[in-house]
Amino acid sequence: MSKNYSILDLIRRNRSPLENHLIDGLVDGRVSRRDFVRHGSLLGLSLPLLGRIGMAAGLGGMPSLARAQGAPGATIRVASSVPAATIDPVTIADAGGLLVMQQVAEFLCVDGPDLVLQPALAESWKPNDTGTVWTFKLRKGVKFHSGGEMKADDVVASIDRLADPANSSNALSVFTGILQKGASKKVDDYTVEFHLDAPNGNFPYMLSSDNYNAVIIPASYKGDYEKSFDGTGPFKIEKYTAKVGASFVRNEDYWGPKALPERTEFTFFTDTQPQILALQGGQVDIINQLPVLAGVALLNDPNIDIISLKSSAHQQLHMRCDEGPLKDARVRRAIALCLDRDKLAAGLMKGRSALGNDSPFAAVYPSTDTSVPQRKQDIAQAKQLMEAAGLGQGFKITLTTERYLEIPEYAQLIQNWVKEIGVELDLNILDQGGYYGDAVFGKSNWLDSVMGITDYGHRGVPNVYLAAPLKSEGTWNAAHFKNKDYDALATSYIAALDLEAQKADAGKIQKLLLEETPVIFGYFYDYLTATAKGVAGVQPTAMSQLFLDKASKA
Amino acid sequence: MVFLGGQVLPGNVGRAILGPFADQRAVDALNHTLGVDRPLLTQYWGWISNFVQGDMGTSYIFRSPVAPFVIDALGNSMKLATVAFVLVVPIGILGGVVAALNLNRPLDRIISLGGLSVTVLPEFVTGIILILIFGVWLRWLPISAAWPRDAGFFTQLYYLILPSLPLFLVLFGYIARMARSGMIEALDSDYTRTAVLKGLPWRTVIWRHVLRNALLPTITVIATQTGYLIGGLVVIETLFRYQGIGSLIFTAARGKDFPMLESGILTIGIVYAVATLIADFLYSMLNPRIRLGSDQ
Repeated sequence: MSKNYSILDLIRRNRSPLENHLIDGLVDGRVSRRDFVRHGSLLGLSLPLLGRIGMAAGLGGMPSLARAQGAPGATIRVASSVPAATIDPVTIADAGGLLVMQQVAEFLCVDGPDLVLQPALAESWKPNDTGTVWTFKLRKGVKFHSGGEMKADDVVASIDRLADPANSSNALSVFTGILQKGASKKVDDYTVEFHLDAPNGNFPYMLSSDNYNAVIIPASYKGDYEKSFDGTGPFKIEKYTAKVGASFVRNEDYWGPKALPERTEFTFFTDTQPQILALQGGQVDIINQLPVLAGVALLNDPNIDIISLKSSAHQQLHMRCDEGPLKDARVRRAIALCLDRDKLAAGLMKGRSALGNDSPFAAVYPSTDTSVPQRKQDIAQAKQLMEAAGLGQGFKITLTTERYLEIPEYAQLIQNWVKEIGVELDLNILDQGGYYGDAVFGKSNWLDSVMGITDYGHRGVPNVYLAAPLKSEGTWNAAHFKNKDYDALATSYIAALDLEAQKADAGKIQKLLLEETPVIFGYFYDYLTATAKGVAGVQPTAMSQLFLDKASKA
Repeated sequence: MVFLGGQVLPGNVGRAILGPFADQRAVDALNHTLGVDRPLLTQYWGWISNFVQGDMGTSYIFRSPVAPFVIDALGNSMKLATVAFVLVVPIGILGGVVAALNLNRPLDRIISLGGLSVTVLPEFVTGIILILIFGVWLRWLPISAAWPRDAGFFTQLYYLILPSLPLFLVLFGYIARMARSGMIEALDSDYTRTAVLKGLPWRTVIWRHVLRNALLPTITVIATQTGYLIGGLVVIETLFRYQGIGSLIFTAARGKDFPMLESGILTIGIVYAVATLIADFLYSMLNPRIRLGSDQ
């Protein structure tokens, strides 16, 4: 298809330099269509507009996010983990609890499949020239279940509540150094400005479903969320019983298209196996989150469909850079070279993962520099590095980790692989409480262990992974990695608004981390949701959310 | 002991609720709100002084009173235990009696070896096998023990059949073995021989002389299993998604929810004590020689 420059010029006329640079990248072929959509959505360009630009650039229409409509009126039954604590948008931290909350309360935007940001309570957003102020335009006519209209005051109060250190906010770690209490400003009833501590090119993700606490609830909220379950969502609470389950009914006053299901039911399970049996026994229609090893029986079951989302979730294998034999970067690289990543992806993860290249830049991120060579197993080179470091005879060391998902099996594989270069690995596998401890340096096996594996959940942008576990002053820097060049590159990446600038920084970070290897990123696992055959229109996110407004049953 | 034991576990309540990746300032604020940053003795005294007045305190995790959680969970555990008992006690005793009356014959071996075999199988193994057969393949029974809202007595019973079966299998061999050995001993005793020689009918000998004495140790065993059935069913409760007191305590321990943990454990202790008291009472009913004040 040929390019239509007259339409492109028309579109470019009202756009900011940043947006036009992205459009130029698409037209010139520097930016792929997929990356253009994802980064365009981050800059606040609407999906229809992105589609028009794609057509004008001769690339055809953009992939439609619309789903086929099924029959209305179903009751959709979901198996979920038990909410670990009382459900409160400010403090909630677990998958079971946020799944319930997300049924009734909505975000300003949603980090959808393929990491494209979709408008929800915000219709659009855009940064200033430096990325220090982001302006969000709110949707009009949105009603809370309790009756009032959602306006800028509610958005400001909801985000301020999360940014306030006095509120026990679980989102405080997301906002620290980025957005302070009082920095969210109402411009008018339908416009809010967020004044950031520093430039941030990915800020909309922090107000999206990616930051699962960032739902918008009334400004008057004072606590006791389980008494109201107030929100703006397509479903309203019918009944909630702690530790047992929850049910929801369609919200007839919803601002968008009405939900297809008449009711949804959530049943809480403390373990995965009973969820699997319940799905096989026809007592539930969906398992929200299916760990790959526990769910092997379902992966090839003809009566079950698996929704597989590419994600950035991974297991970080950290190595202490400040003491012991791992202080030498050559030794850390040698250990990383022992891993057979193809076997990890195909065997351990049953093909439901993408290869990691020892940096947090997963393949799903548009900013990832794919020209950086993939690290592969190379025992000969690993042995040479050990010799060069004066450790050709090997050494003995302890790998401390948590009993969670496939981590124990992953640790055993590593234990076997590093034997080939003389490294004798003792495994110290703890329950999660024992591993994380108080989660501060000096009181945590996670942060104090010489070598460890830690589960990191999905994020739509790599900002958190780049800062907390890898920056010199990072609060989760278990590797005790201190590198000024890295810190500067990470800061530069986080500030960059432009995709190509992000890519340039990403490439430098990827190369630096391959050289230093404080953390091994072996693979990025897919987020799996299992549904019974005939259940359609289910939209999970890799953050454990589940959108059921378009769900139906055959 | 539970309180002190809980203190040596790593982590703290705020961290357990907010997770390992929460900001330390948020964790500190939550610990302060919950009052768990106070001195240990203050915390303990606050809880125990309320408990003796009938107030179990407020759950750290659920931010609501503990008592309804414990009462609900205890009620559920007692329902499940009752169904299991109603199934296993008569059948187990009958099995033991039949085995003893057929000593060293094929029927004895079937009951003894069969009972022993199923007793040693862990509940999660038998539970999953039963779920697969009756829940997944045949679809005769619900695989979850959590009955629908407003379910009546028979519906609740229907939902409890499958989770009570693994308990039946675990306890059957145990009770049958005790009943069998008690019967063998009683059948071999002087008073049985005397009763037979007196010319009493065999049925009267068994009912009035043998069973009454043979079942004494079995009753003690049944009483000791009551505590297990009420408080130790974490595996069954997890497998069948049942909200019993075992899973309540397990969850509370994981979340460092001490008011819930301590109240749950103390409640189970009370259940044990009551079960033992009932066993003593039954024992004295069946054996007049140990009745207090008796001169026989």
